[in-house]
Amino acid sequence: MPKLDKQFIKKVRRQDRFATRAITVGGLLVIASVIAILVLIVRVTLPLFQPAGAEISHRLTVKSGTAPVLAVGMDDTQEVGFTLDTTGLFSFYDLASGKPFFTAPASTRKATVQSVESNKNNVFALLWEDNSVTVSQVDFRLLYDDSGLRTVQPEISQLGDYPPRSYPAPVKSMMVRSHEGRLTQVALLADNRFQIDHEVATTNILGDEKKEAFSFLLNEELPGPITAFTLDEQGSALFAGTGAGSLLRWDLGENESAERTDNVVAVAGDKPVTALAMVFGDISVAVGGADGSLATWSQIWTGEGDDRVRRLRKTHTLTSHQAPVERIIPSRRSKSLVSLGADGKTHFDHMTSEKHLLNLDPALTMAGISGQGNGLIGLDSKNTLTVWNVDSPHPEISLKTLFGKVWYESYDKPEYVWQSSSASDDFEPKLSLVPLLFGTIKGTLYAMIFAVPLAIFGAVYTSQFSTAGFKKTVKPVVEIMASIPSVVIGFLIALWLAPIVEKAILAVILGVLLLPLIFVTIMAVLRPFYKTPTLQNFCSGHEFLLLVPVIFLAGALAMGIAPFVEQLLFAGDFKQWLYNDLGLRYDQRNCIIIAFGLGIAVIPIIFSITEDAISNIPPSLTAASLALGASRWQTIWRVVLPSASPGIFAAIMIGFGRAVGETMIVLMATGNTPILDWSIFNGMRTLSANIAVEP
Amino acid sequence: MTKRFWRQGEPFVWATGLALSLILFLTLLLFYVVMANGLAVFWPKKVALATLQDGRSLLGEIVQEEIIPHTDKKRLQFKIGNRDLYGFDFKWVDASEITSLTYPKDVHVLERQEYGNFYGYLSEFEVKGIAPPVSGSNSLAQTIAALEDRKVEVHLLGKKIANLNRRVELIDHHLAKARYNKEENTPALAAMQGEKQGLKTEFEALVSILSEKSAALATNQAIFTDANGRTKAVALPNIVRAYQPNNMSFFAKCTYYLERLRELLFDEPRESNTEGGLFPAIFGTVMLIFLMSILSFPLGVLAGIYLREYAKDGWLVKMVRIAVNNLAGIPSIVYGIFGLGFFVYGIGGGIDQLFFPERLPAPTFGTGGILWTSLTLGLLTVPVVIVATEEALGSIPPGIREGSQALAATKLQTLTRILLPMASPGILTGFILAMARAAGEVAPLMITGVVKLAPALPLDGVFPFLHLDRKFMHLGFHIYDIGFQSPNVEAAKPMVYVTTLLLILIVLAMTSTAIHLRNKMRQRHSVADV
Amino acid sequence: MSTPDTAIIRIENPQVEVENLNLYYGSSQALKDLTFGIPGQQVTALIGPSGCGKSTLIRCINRMNDLVDGLRIEGAITINGENINDPGLDVIELRRKVGMVFQKWNPFPKSIYENIVYGLRIAGIQDKAVLDEAAEKCLKRAALWDEVKDRLHQSAMGLSGGQMQRLCIARAIAVSPEIILMDEPCSALDPRSTGRIEDLIRELRGEYTIIIVTHNMQQAARISDYTAYMYLGELIEYGPTQRLFTMPEKKETEDYITGRFG
Repeated sequence: MPKLDKQFIKKVRRQDRFATRAITVGGLLVIASVIAILVLIVRVTLPLFQPAGAEISHRLTVKSGTAPVLAVGMDDTQEVGFTLDTTGLFSFYDLASGKPFFTAPASTRKATVQSVESNKNNVFALLWEDNSVTVSQVDFRLLYDDSGLRTVQPEISQLGDYPPRSYPAPVKSMMVRSHEGRLTQVALLADNRFQIDHEVATTNILGDEKKEAFSFLLNEELPGPITAFTLDEQGSALFAGTGAGSLLRWDLGENESAERTDNVVAVAGDKPVTALAMVFGDISVAVGGADGSLATWSQIWTGEGDDRVRRLRKTHTLTSHQAPVERIIPSRRSKSLVSLGADGKTHFDHMTSEKHLLNLDPALTMAGISGQGNGLIGLDSKNTLTVWNVDSPHPEISLKTLFGKVWYESYDKPEYVWQSSSASDDFEPKLSLVPLLFGTIKGTLYAMIFAVPLAIFGAVYTSQFSTAGFKKTVKPVVEIMASIPSVVIGFLIALWLAPIVEKAILAVILGVLLLPLIFVTIMAVLRPFYKTPTLQNFCSGHEFLLLVPVIFLAGALAMGIAPFVEQLLFAGDFKQWLYNDLGLRYDQRNCIIIAFGLGIAVIPIIFSITEDAISNIPPSLTAASLALGASRWQTIWRVVLPSASPGIFAAIMIGFGRAVGETMIVLMATGNTPILDWSIFNGMRTLSANIAVEP
Repeated sequence: MTKRFWRQGEPFVWATGLALSLILFLTLLLFYVVMANGLAVFWPKKVALATLQDGRSLLGEIVQEEIIPHTDKKRLQFKIGNRDLYGFDFKWVDASEITSLTYPKDVHVLERQEYGNFYGYLSEFEVKGIAPPVSGSNSLAQTIAALEDRKVEVHLLGKKIANLNRRVELIDHHLAKARYNKEENTPALAAMQGEKQGLKTEFEALVSILSEKSAALATNQAIFTDANGRTKAVALPNIVRAYQPNNMSFFAKCTYYLERLRELLFDEPRESNTEGGLFPAIFGTVMLIFLMSILSFPLGVLAGIYLREYAKDGWLVKMVRIAVNNLAGIPSIVYGIFGLGFFVYGIGGGIDQLFFPERLPAPTFGTGGILWTSLTLGLLTVPVVIVATEEALGSIPPGIREGSQALAATKLQTLTRILLPMASPGILTGFILAMARAAGEVAPLMITGVVKLAPALPLDGVFPFLHLDRKFMHLGFHIYDIGFQSPNVEAAKPMVYVTTLLLILIVLAMTSTAIHLRNKMRQRHSVADV
Repeated sequence: MSTPDTAIIRIENPQVEVENLNLYYGSSQALKDLTFGIPGQQVTALIGPSGCGKSTLIRCINRMNDLVDGLRIEGAITINGENINDPGLDVIELRRKVGMVFQKWNPFPKSIYENIVYGLRIAGIQDKAVLDEAAEKCLKRAALWDEVKDRLHQSAMGLSGGQMQRLCIARAIAVSPEIILMDEPCSALDPRSTGRIEDLIRELRGEYTIIIVTHNMQQAARISDYTAYMYLGELIEYGPTQRLFTMPEKKETEDYITGRFG
């Protein structure tokens, strides 16, 4: 016997030890990362529900000796904050150091400011004591020095300066709006009346500008003293709250007069409305009451037919304060609101999700939100300015907005809607997952109705009734079918099948009905000859070949009689009939197409697994049943299928999973409209397609 | 007897047969549609001249015929081309309006660089610098051939300019980096500035030469008339291919078909991907599969071997198995999101911060690219490979392992000499099936780096040759893009069918290999069982 | 154990010595305090009803049980005076000395030739001449040469069951072990093939120490020099085959070999 090489043995052993370690470490690493991926996928969705948080980033004291402060604000980078005081002076503070570094007056006129109103980010309308109005904007320019350091340079610019008008009584407060050449000034007078002034600039054909002024008083009887009022951005709607809790709305669309459209009770128990503000987007108005209630109202279509009118309705109720709401500051970025209570509590709420984002304690008298909506600046009674860095990544997402009915702006009632983006900034994202879930389930369900019977029956036939040689051919064919890329199926059903089905929808429906009918007829015809040896010899294991003509026959027959049936039953136009009589709209890319496409994608999967499950039933079991005199179908139905049922169930579930996750087919072959409708004649949008569609 | 026939359930047996027939019928129908439409695209179709009742004529390929709904009249769809003249490519004409339908021999079909096909008659040439063509049936082809040299010249010039451009870009990157690193006034920097200036001058000179030459080339025109006598001058260099379908022999048609096939496989796409070749898409698909395989195959096999041969069987291994199996069932689109969030934004963004800060905010790796896409697809296939490896190893009878170890083999020797060779067909089958699935996967690509038209291949002759950060084209996405996103879906359809056919062929080739391998493996195993 | 000394004979200079061997699968004990010696260059048969621990015992001798999870061994097995349960012992070295043939033949899916030389190749022997010589010698030794010499390079999967089992024996001999363990090598073979394997075992005797587990008492009687009877993990009786089959000391042994039980 040959001598063993000790050196070699040592080497082999070393290699083995090394490989063991390497494979263990490598394998563990791969598995760990695979599981980490699973964990990460789960984790990606969690931050959506993360609660908001706020941290005090800066705190400083306002320069002593300044006049009372009327407004505060800051820049987007949260580096510079400012105050506006009663002398009309803007004072800027470097937030990091707390030092004032720049002041600028809103106007060169030395006067006293009576009230300030802000309806845009860092734009302030100052009502001077002499009833003149100055609209000033605070801009922040980012400057970079040579070393690349950034400094924020504030600038004041005047957007408008309006001379005093004549008023029959002293002016308590005023709002100014300028929109598309029309200047609107609404003044609340001391005698509880509104005076409205419009100044309309028109340009005639020659290019000459002409100004026309309109002025009128609202002399109506009001339910109580006006305690708060606000105007929308265009100056076309005036909202006012009264001491008795009423919310009034006037339409200011006309230049000569105003029409009162609404008078509703917004605060219960005769308590006054204490604060009003337009929510970003100008559709809803936020109402705060003396009882601490905070709610948003918007105009909703009510009534039927010609009586359909828009009336104010309460759409969202937000978390109440314990004390009267003193002030509401809407975010200029989202549908979030900051509200200050008389008890010194500051709430941060989101309208759509009705989520109570933050609850801050310091007794603020004044507050402002940064342009990005991620910073809050507030002034308390001790003249301390505090800046919070607000971290609220997804205020609009809550379980309720994802899965519940939500009353979106401009909708008649709470609904499930998915519309995540639009062209405009002030858009309210509608993030109900219900239509997407519904679409997913709808598509999958119809697909399963089509695929499951076909796949399971086909698998039963292949494994139990066909010949061994044939089985060897069918399995690869089905596997090849499984490997067809879904984008190919999607393309074919959307661009080839959908137009054909659209033209011959009735024929398709008839075909589906006729196929079993013809099949049963043929069975009945065949029955007397069934026992003849020729048929037996030929058929055993080849029944399916004999049935191919049945498919063609059904198809041809359906095509042939479809026009007559259409004439006879549906007045010549099936789609028209669907729409008129059943109210169903026919889309070219509809659920029939999807069911077919998804079906083709999942049939091979269900087929393969079912076939394996059935083939794994030991032949002795089948033999035992057959030996007891059961027919081959009885054996299958009573013995084989029950034994294979766990496998078949698994097959259906895996097919279901594939159908749910399938993206391309659905993306290509539906209109991707997120609607809630069970009709098979229109489309849907599924979760998976939504992921691909949304940018 | 009747009762027994039904009670014994014989009809149900036939019903299962019917289900199988339907499945097979659907499969075959699917393939038939793709084949029939895909293969016929490049076959030159005859061009018909239809004279209408109102005296006008129409020249075009008859695309389809149908019965007008709710009537018994027929109508024909013509592909009339000449988009620049008529504004649309297709036209429906009622059969009753057509007084005569002929196939004139002298009709020319031009495939052009823009505006799609042109159908018309050749009337005259306006050429400069080459011998005026002799009249005759193939005068057009001859004239185009005579211009070939000059066309090539212009083409090469264009390539040169692109090259220069790339060099300038490279210098710009270096300059940006230097600026970022606060290097100033170094000699190297000055040299680079100088080189850039030099290149720029060269570039401008070349551009002016190019525009001159191509303008000169474009003055060579052929004047064509359409069916109604409208004339149209077509610049000869704009003609990609010209032929006279009604005057072609069978052999000529075959040649034409092969030429189109060559163009398909090796040329770049034209006319927003609806014409020309698929080379970048084929290249992207193949490279994607290749990169993905390099990643997922070794890792998957390693993990599979560990799980089956080295890990101690316990609840942990069981949990891992369940997790891996679940991972294999996660929809591909979810992997896409993961790839976008983790690879593109996470890792890619990190790489940018670390290595390419001078280019920010323009991302280098922090945006979709072939690397991230292949990593994502790799993740998608790793679980499948793990499962396949485990199953293949698990199906080897334990006696084989014992036999080897009883002969004093180490674990590694048993693995490499006995187990892996035995398991390899199974592993390969699983792997190839996973690859075939990945090749047809589009949804995750769409969000991690595939584009409709990539300016450059991810692999080229410019250092560092392999550009993993580049975006790429893909056959599957091509189908989606030109079939659903292109402005003229009807005109793009032939190309979609061809792309589909190509993709199906690639996938089928891979699947068939896998099935073949598995059958071989089964044979081997079945002998072992005797 | 209260077994009288006469039931388990002591072997002088045993090659394999089992001392107080206890083996547990998880919490159940499969081998109970076995102590006996196995002589060198002789055939020793282990008999006993199913589940008595025979296979477990011989798998301990080349530490094949290492592959089994949750197994615990106490006590010692020494081969040529070396304790093989010593954790410092090199299992590969041990298995080179102790070959094994399994109940179910397990040729590798390779050629006949590659099957024979596998053990040599993994030991680093590459020399073609050496391998060829070893292959021929071992196949001849296993009385398989004449049947397969023309198809040495064809797949071993094409052999019959008996041939495959002899191939496995030849494969085991090829690495020149001192001891060959056989775990019911004939249980799945027809009588003719069984006969040939028994002939082979008889021939190998004297050169190798053979320890064979068998269900077949006639076979044990025919081929072995010593026989051990085990029952429920205990060694009941051990002695020269002749004596054990003709005049067993214990009632249990007699019941078993006369077929009254088992």
